[in-house]
Amino acid sequence: MMTWRRPSRRAARSEGPWAWLAAGSVATSLALLALLLGLLAVRGLGHFWPAEVSLVALDDGRQLAGWAVKESPLPGGDGRERLYRTGNRDLDGAIWDWVDLDEIREVSHPSDLVVLERRRWSEFIGRLEAVETESGERISGESAWPALERRLTALEQHRASIERLRHQVIRPLVLRLEAGEASELERERLSAAQEQVREQQAALPKDILILETVDGRQLRQPLTEVTDALQPNAMGVGEKVVAWSQGVWRFLSEGPRAANTAGGVWPAIFGTVLMVVLMSIFVTPFGVLAAVYLNEVAHQGRLTHWVRIGVRNLAGVPSIVYGVFGLGVFVYGIGGHLDDWFFSSSLPSPTFGTGGLLWASLTLALLTLPVVIVATEEGLARIPESQREGALALGATRFEMLTRIVLPMAMPAMLTGVILAVARAAGEVAPLMLVGVAKLAPQVPVDGEFPFLHLDRKFMHLGYHIFDAAFHGGDVQAAMPLIYATALLLVLVILVLNLTAIFLRHHLRSRHGTLSK
Amino acid sequence: MQHTPSPPPVRRHFRQTRDRLATALITAGGIGVIAAVMAIGVFLAVEVVPLFWSSSDAPRINLETLWLPQAYEGHEVPVHRWQPAMPEGGGEPRFGMLPLVWGTLEAAIWALVIAVPLALGAAAHSALFMSRRLRARLKPTLELMEAMPGVVIGFVAGLVLAPWLDDHLALGLTLLVMLPSGLLLAGGLWARLGARWRRPLPMGWAALWLLPWLLVCWFLSSWLSPVLEAWWFGGDLRAWLEVSLGLDYANRNAIIVGMAMGFAVMPSIYALAEDALSGVPKSLVEGAEALGATRWQSLWKVVLPAAGPGVLSAVMIGAGRAVGETMIVLMASGNTALMTASPLDGLRSMAASIAIELPEAVPGGTHYRLLLLAALLLFVFTFCVNTLAEVVRSRLRRRYRRMEGLG
Repeated sequence: MMTWRRPSRRAARSEGPWAWLAAGSVATSLALLALLLGLLAVRGLGHFWPAEVSLVALDDGRQLAGWAVKESPLPGGDGRERLYRTGNRDLDGAIWDWVDLDEIREVSHPSDLVVLERRRWSEFIGRLEAVETESGERISGESAWPALERRLTALEQHRASIERLRHQVIRPLVLRLEAGEASELERERLSAAQEQVREQQAALPKDILILETVDGRQLRQPLTEVTDALQPNAMGVGEKVVAWSQGVWRFLSEGPRAANTAGGVWPAIFGTVLMVVLMSIFVTPFGVLAAVYLNEVAHQGRLTHWVRIGVRNLAGVPSIVYGVFGLGVFVYGIGGHLDDWFFSSSLPSPTFGTGGLLWASLTLALLTLPVVIVATEEGLARIPESQREGALALGATRFEMLTRIVLPMAMPAMLTGVILAVARAAGEVAPLMLVGVAKLAPQVPVDGEFPFLHLDRKFMHLGYHIFDAAFHGGDVQAAMPLIYATALLLVLVILVLNLTAIFLRHHLRSRHGTLSK
Repeated sequence: MQHTPSPPPVRRHFRQTRDRLATALITAGGIGVIAAVMAIGVFLAVEVVPLFWSSSDAPRINLETLWLPQAYEGHEVPVHRWQPAMPEGGGEPRFGMLPLVWGTLEAAIWALVIAVPLALGAAAHSALFMSRRLRARLKPTLELMEAMPGVVIGFVAGLVLAPWLDDHLALGLTLLVMLPSGLLLAGGLWARLGARWRRPLPMGWAALWLLPWLLVCWFLSSWLSPVLEAWWFGGDLRAWLEVSLGLDYANRNAIIVGMAMGFAVMPSIYALAEDALSGVPKSLVEGAEALGATRWQSLWKVVLPAAGPGVLSAVMIGAGRAVGETMIVLMASGNTALMTASPLDGLRSMAASIAIELPEAVPGGTHYRLLLLAALLLFVFTFCVNTLAEVVRSRLRRRYRRMEGLG
C-alpha cells in the first residue's frame, strides 16, 4: 500500500483539468449519497411532525384547509399551481386539491383548525363545532375541544381493555374449542368473555362530533371512528415533539391500514427480522463449515484454488437467480414432495408447495453463503501459521487445534461475515418476490398456536412493503410519506449492521496486526 | 516417546478417532455446501434443456423463434416481441427473447456510462491526491453506499427522480454541462490563488471543500436553465426533442435507470479500481515524480498502465452487477419490452421479467422454462465475467509483487 504525504505546494502547481474532474467525482458521489440520505431522513421523519394547517382563501370566495405538498408550473401557461392535501375524502371524494397560485388571496393559520385521524375516509380537516353526548347534551364553544380530548382518552382506555380481553382470554379459548379440547367450563368462560366484549363495545361512548369544514359543510362524525385528534396550529414545540414521537411509535408498532398506504409497519419489521434470524441460523454453521474445509482441511492445490474463485464469484451472481433456484428447487421441488407425503389431506391447497418463511430464509441463506465463506476464510488466513504449529507440537489433534485455537481466533471474522450477510439479506427483495413474501400477511408467522413458529406461512418484509406501496397502491401520493419512512427504517437498519461489521473488521485487523509481530 | 508420559492408550485412541471422524465430517459437509451452491447452475441448465428437446406439441421453440424476428399474425413485417401472456383470443403467445436481452444490456450500458467516469475519477483522486485521513474515512462511507438496498434506490429513482426530471429536463441537461465546467473553473481559479489562500484549501481535501462549490454550480444552473432553454430549444426542451429529433420522452426511461443503477454500482467499481491503483508499487510513482512529472502525469503514464488490468476487472465486476440488478430496473424502467435505441424510452430487463412473470408462470410450461433460460443466461454471464475479472486480478497481484521485487 502506498502512503502519500500531503501534496506539497510544488506538486500541486499545475495538475491540469483532469485532476479537478477526478476530485469533483468524489465530491459528486458524496453529494449524491448525502442527498439520498437527507431526502429519506427529512421526508421520512418529517411526516410525523404535526405541520401547520393552512387556511387558503381563493379569489372566487372558496376556502380550503390543508397542507401544501408540492408546486409545479401550470400545464401550457405561465404561473404555477400548488397541490394541497385537504383530507375529507368522505365529503370531497378526494384528498387532493390543485390550486392556481395566482388565485390565492390569502393564506392564514388560524389556531382553531382541527385534524382528526380516522379509521376510514382519511383525515378530517376543519373546525370542531360541538360535541354531542349520548344524552343529547351539546358541548360547544370553548369547552368543546377539552371535552373531545377527555372523551378520546376514555375511548382509548375502553379500546385497550377490549383488545386485552380479546387477545388474552378469547383467542386461546377459541383455539382450544377448534381443536376440540375445550371442556364445558371453558365453553362457558368463552361465552361469558364474549358477552363481556359485547357489553364493553356497547358501552363505548356514543358521542357524536359536530364538525364543519372551512367552506361551511357540516359533518356528524361518530367518535368511535376517530383515532387521534390534533390542533396543530395551536400546539407549542413541546407538544409537537410529543405528538411526533407518538407518531413514530405508532408507525413502528401498528399494522398497515388502507391497502398499505397508511398505518404502521410492525408486521413487516417482524417478518424481516424473523426471516433474517432464521437465515443466519442456516447460514452460519454451513458457511463456517465450508470455509474451514477450504482453508484447513482441503489439499491446497489447483482445484481448491478454482473452487475458491467459484465461491467468490457466486457472491456476484444476481440475487434474482437465487430466487429462481429457490422457487424451482425448494418450493416446487422439495415443497411439492413434502406436500405429497405429509400434507396430502389439505391438497390441492399447498402447505409447503408455495412460497413461505422457510423457503425464503433458505434461499437467502444460499445467497449469503458466499459472503460468510469469504469473510471466514479471510479470518482463517490471517491467523499466523505458528499458532497452528504450536498447538500441533503440543500434542493436540487437528480437531482440537481447530476448535480450541483456530476457531476462537477467527470468531470476529465469522461474526463480521454473518453481519454482512444479514445486512445483505435484509435489503434483498427480488428473490423474496419469488419465494414467499406477501403484500399483506393476515397472520404473523409466530403465535400461541402449536408449533408456535409457522415456517410455511407467508410473511411481510420492509423492502417488499416499499415496492408494493410504491407500485401497486392506489393513491401513491398519499402513501409517499410512509414509503419514505419505511425506506428510512430499512436504510438505518442496514447502515447500523454495516457499521458494526466495519468496526469489527477494523478491530480484528488491529488485533491481528499485534499478533503477527 | 519414552521420555514424555504419554496419555493412556484408550484416551489417545478416542481422540484420534474423534479427530478422524471430525475431519471426515468437515470434508463431507464442506464439499456438500460447496456443491449445493454450485448446484444453481446445474439446476438451471437441467430445467432449460427440455425446452429444445421436448416432443410435446406446446408452442414450438427453437433458437430461431427466440432470437430472430418472427412474422406474428397482425404484423406485416417480422418483428421481435415478448408477449408471453396474450389476452383472451389474442393468438399465440410471443416469445422473442431479444427485447429482454436488449433491455438488460441497454440498462447496464447506461449504468456504466454514469458509473465508470465517476468511479474511476474518484479512485484516481483518492489513490493519488487525497489526504490519508480523508481516505480512511471515505472508503467505509462508499462501502455504506454500496450496501444501500436496491429497492430504496429504485423507489427514489422511480417516484422522486423520474417526476423531478420530467419537470426539470432542461435543468438536468444544464447540470450535465455546468458541473464539469464548474469543476474546471474551480481548478483554474485555484491555480491562480496565492499560496496564502491555497493553504486552507489543500488538494488532498478537495473532495470536501468542492461540495459547497457544487452547490453554487447547482444554483447557477437552475438560474441559467430557463434562459438556455428559451435560447436554444425555443422555450420547451421536450417539444424540441420531439420535433427536431423525433424522440418521445417517457417518464421512466433508460436514462433514469442508468442514473439509479450507476449510483448503485459506482461504489463497487470504485473499491476495486482504488485497490488496483493504490497497489502499484510506490517506487514507480516516486521515480516518475523525481523525473519531474506532475502527479496526474505519473498517474496517466505510470500508474494506469501498470494497474490497467485491475481497473478493467473493476469495470467488469460493475457490469456483472448492473446486468443482474433487479429492483432498480423493475421500479425505474417502466417495464415496456421495447427495442429502441433511444435512451428516453422505457425498457424491460431479463431480471425484472423474471421477478414479475415467474410467480405466475405454470411450472414446467414453456413460459416458465424460458424465464429459467433468462436466469441461466444471467448466471452464465455474471459467472464468466466475474471469473475473468478474478483471474485478471490475481495476475495483477503477482505482477505487483514482481515489480516490488525489482524496485
